[in-house]
Amino acid sequence: MKPLAGRRILDLSARCAQRPHALATAMAGRICAMYGATVVRPDGPMAFEGPLARFLDAGKQRDGDGFDAALGDSASLTEAPITVRFSVFGPGEDPPMSEFGLLALSGLLDIVGEADDPPSPLAGHQPAYAAGLAGSTALLAALHAGGRETIDISLFDVTCWLNWKVAAGVLVMGRAPKRGGTRADWFTLPAADGHIALVYQEKDWPPLREMVGTTDPRFETRAGRLTHRVDFEAAIRPWFAARTREDITREAQSRRIPIGPVRFPAELLHDAQHTARGFIAPDGTPRPPMLIDGIRPHG
Amino acid sequence: MAELPLRGVRVIDLGWLTAGAATSTLLLDMGATVIKVEGPGAIDPFRNWEGADATREWWNESPWFNFTNRGKASLCLDLKDPRGRDTLLRLLEGADVLVENYRRGVLDGFGLGAAFLRARFPRLVIASISSQGETGPERDMVSFGSTLEATGGLAALTGPKHGAPVITGRDVNYPDQVVCLFATGAVVAALMERDRTGQGAHLDLSQRELTSFLMGEELIAVAEGTPSPRHGFGPDGEHLRDNTAHWPGGSAPVRDGAALSESPEFQNGTAVLRAPDGSAAKGIPFRFATRELAVRDACHRLGADNRAVLLDAGFPPADITALQEAGVLADRPRKGPPR
Repeated sequence: MKPLAGRRILDLSARCAQRPHALATAMAGRICAMYGATVVRPDGPMAFEGPLARFLDAGKQRDGDGFDAALGDSASLTEAPITVRFSVFGPGEDPPMSEFGLLALSGLLDIVGEADDPPSPLAGHQPAYAAGLAGSTALLAALHAGGRETIDISLFDVTCWLNWKVAAGVLVMGRAPKRGGTRADWFTLPAADGHIALVYQEKDWPPLREMVGTTDPRFETRAGRLTHRVDFEAAIRPWFAARTREDITREAQSRRIPIGPVRFPAELLHDAQHTARGFIAPDGTPRPPMLIDGIRPHG
Repeated sequence: MAELPLRGVRVIDLGWLTAGAATSTLLLDMGATVIKVEGPGAIDPFRNWEGADATREWWNESPWFNFTNRGKASLCLDLKDPRGRDTLLRLLEGADVLVENYRRGVLDGFGLGAAFLRARFPRLVIASISSQGETGPERDMVSFGSTLEATGGLAALTGPKHGAPVITGRDVNYPDQVVCLFATGAVVAALMERDRTGQGAHLDLSQRELTSFLMGEELIAVAEGTPSPRHGFGPDGEHLRDNTAHWPGGSAPVRDGAALSESPEFQNGTAVLRAPDGSAAKGIPFRFATRELAVRDACHRLGADNRAVLLDAGFPPADITALQEAGVLADRPRKGPPR
């Protein structure tokens, strides 16, 4: 599937004024290349290096002209029939910003982590990459419709949109979820060879209880497990610590409990599922994250 | 103002919770018509919410369901009944897109598998959003969003430098959010391809793959033998002090939900919008200069559009009444109240 074959997209990531904008622009360009567009990414002071460049600039050219669309920020964008303009808060509202700052401002930093620990920023470049996905989706729609268009992507709006339960909590429920609050009963636990993610719903509690062999009546309800979190964790930890991630996952999955292993990127290179589906190239480059009629697109 | 970009596109939405349902919502926001199809024995789990009052029509009162599914026509149709299945097939004759994120195998069980639908409706774009994808040895692995953060490589690098890896948990379920942005684009791309070739497509969208894809530079780094450690706050001296996030060149307050909702940037932004009835509604993460994207309609009650949708598809009124009397069409769940 190459719906953008013959379309020429100017990717101004290397000329953006700020790094989050550059990352978002580059991701949007990467997605366009995946759909068959000719993506031209001129060099500039914000150009990426190393693995980041090999990931984001894959399939892009250095030179070209005659563009159908241009991706960038207000500092870098030039005239094109369709422009996708990344900003912090909206057109022209571009105070100094980092992805760490976007996570903080949007509430997506404060909500992640254990109650008694500092909050944890998501690894990698999630706010910028999500904005890049939003930008490429909007660009596809504009190309589909035809005509001229200016698309604005606010990095802040996208990050808040991802964090919608917190963003809308006060308006919809009267109060927003909090880190370590009344719903914080999913967490990671040490296994014999790493960690697993303890993820389950109320219907999974009876099989989970049976699996780990706890009979303490205080843990029968979710409220009880949260109230007695320290004791609960102490009671179940030994079962997990004595087993490998693979054994735990097999046991849990046989009971239809959505527990899974915490896998490191190094392990993903040889991950059975990713390998079977041909998702990662031998040099570690991830291929497009979908199959179309059973075939993975190039790019 | 120009017409919305997806005007005229008809979507059948078998999407549940966020990953499927919010993908259809983004298609709606860009101009598509969306018919959300649920069964009287299989409502969207989002309708079954904590705090529901069993003496009321709890299924129409779920705040998060109504927030996410505003503006869609609602059809309550029993797909397990052959008459329900036949009705859906009639609707698919006039549809451009089907979005689904059922557990793998469920649609096949209804006799509505992707291969069958592709053969019967060659122009249909089928977006199947699943945890692991349609194939592979772990295709049937049960996962929620936070499980995929673990198996996809995000959790391993998230969390304190010297502590345990961290998952985002119930209130974020990060992979469920981000997949909507990608899947919506994939659907539009497939519609563009159909314009060129006349052929629809089956899009097999794996949330685990997308989670790993969004860590792409880390996969390349480990393949080169230079894996990143878990950085904690970040690799460049990012830190927290006095509830403020600091980085080289700037700082920002660490907001909780209350502080966020009071901030002018949020109030002027598009992450949360208002439906015409004043209710808070899922927002739209982009703006077009020549096309006004807006929330144009509130959430419809379960089954509110049964008759209108089927009349529009050419069903005679007597046939619709027969389906209602047989319970194939409904306006309430068979079971409840919620746990």
